[in-house]
Amino acid sequence: MFFRTFRAEQMKMQHSPVWLAFFIFPILPVVMGTFNYLQNVDILQDAWYSLWTQHTLFTCYFFFPPLIGVYCSYLCRLEHLNHNWNAVMTAPVPVADLYFSKLISASMMVLLTQVWNGILFIISGKLCGLNAPIPTELAGWLLCGALGGIVICALQLCLSLFIRSFAVPVGIALIGGIGGLVAMAKGYGAWFPYSLLSVGMRANQPSGAMQCGTEQFVLVSCFYVTAGVVFAVLWLKKRDVVAG
Amino acid sequence: MRQALAVEFRKIRRRKVWLIVAALIFVQLLWSLWAFRNMDARKLAQGWMHCLYQFPLLNSIMMPVIAAVVASRLCDIEHKGRAFKLLETIMLAGRLFHAKFLCGACYMLAAAFLQVEVMVVFGTVKGFQGSPPWDKLLCYLLFTTVVNLAILLFQQTLSLLFQNQMVSLTAGLIGTLAGLYLMFFPRTVERLLLWGYYGVLMLVGMDWDRETRITNYYYMPVNWAGFIVLLVMSCILYVAGRALFVRKEM
Repeated sequence: MFFRTFRAEQMKMQHSPVWLAFFIFPILPVVMGTFNYLQNVDILQDAWYSLWTQHTLFTCYFFFPPLIGVYCSYLCRLEHLNHNWNAVMTAPVPVADLYFSKLISASMMVLLTQVWNGILFIISGKLCGLNAPIPTELAGWLLCGALGGIVICALQLCLSLFIRSFAVPVGIALIGGIGGLVAMAKGYGAWFPYSLLSVGMRANQPSGAMQCGTEQFVLVSCFYVTAGVVFAVLWLKKRDVVAG
Repeated sequence: MRQALAVEFRKIRRRKVWLIVAALIFVQLLWSLWAFRNMDARKLAQGWMHCLYQFPLLNSIMMPVIAAVVASRLCDIEHKGRAFKLLETIMLAGRLFHAKFLCGACYMLAAAFLQVEVMVVFGTVKGFQGSPPWDKLLCYLLFTTVVNLAILLFQQTLSLLFQNQMVSLTAGLIGTLAGLYLMFFPRTVERLLLWGYYGVLMLVGMDWDRETRITNYYYMPVNWAGFIVLLVMSCILYVAGRALFVRKEM
């Protein structure tokens, strides 16, 4: 049943231009971050690592969480329109499958964006004339960043499930991203869901160790994803739908 | 027009549009409390300038998203209720565009007023040196409001033209990101984008000494040329947005 619901999600997204946003969005910090790096190359002497900070610093805190928020709102929008919750909730489909299909769709988009980020980073580094070998940690940054992104997907999907407005969850994601920056500065980055993305991507210190151990990072991420799943399933099971 | 505006407010009376504006202003306040937590005599002497430097930076990140959210909430009601056809039989499309803009503008104006109030109260409680620089605060209020309204116009046009609100919100986010990055570019480049004007119209500059790691703030001359360019851009946005909405088949 899960694969059917997942296929249904994919069909809903088939002609949607949503991928375009995730395609264009990483290009902007790459172009501007690279320009900024080239302007300040005498201060930023850590080659690939300095370039990485220029690419990811603002994006991780202020922009990627709201963009994920937009995507999650979009995934739930069809259900919120035209009394569709009535049709969805009376279909013989477990509610967990409904949520999982949306979560996997959003996670796939995050993963693809991370791959695109990696490709752009390598291209811009080569164009900048960085002769040092590409950091071996790059795959780890991208993968951990994707896990942090999936945590945000899980939470944003919960918000978009019970907030019927398209825009409000996006505003909450921005507040979450700013909260993530504060949590990082206070040393609690590894415990706050919206800062896990930047912790995973090592946005402010790529050459050093992560703010927490990898095991802790994975465990905290799994905890938040599980919390999101449990909340969403309970919400869908217990609450009567509001269709309109 | 007064009636059309009253109708707009009645439509959103239970939608709590003010909540997201209040929440983001509250976040800005928390940020300020955190940024100004340890103030020595030198920092207190520059407190007002620090405020006037920090708030435009925060605005460049947060205000465009607030504008996008407010515009989307105001316009999405009509898309969801498929109300445009009906509305256009009882009022002119141009008047609807204007009423929606005025309604959103009230929220953006309230947000800017709240910010100035927060700055004055915060500076007085913290004991910033000297009385509040009212002329600078007034300029800040004027500039912030005009940039907010210009961005609101852009967002409202997109939210009205596209039923899919993802388009307007994504465009807003991309613009915000570009605006933030443009702050690190020369002023001439910054002027190209609407979202860069929070930086263009900043009243305070910062001088960071790399050797001593001491930050000094200083007042900059008001960029009236930039302000006029922004006003012209706003007028063009209004005329173009209204024309596009009027001509759109609902």
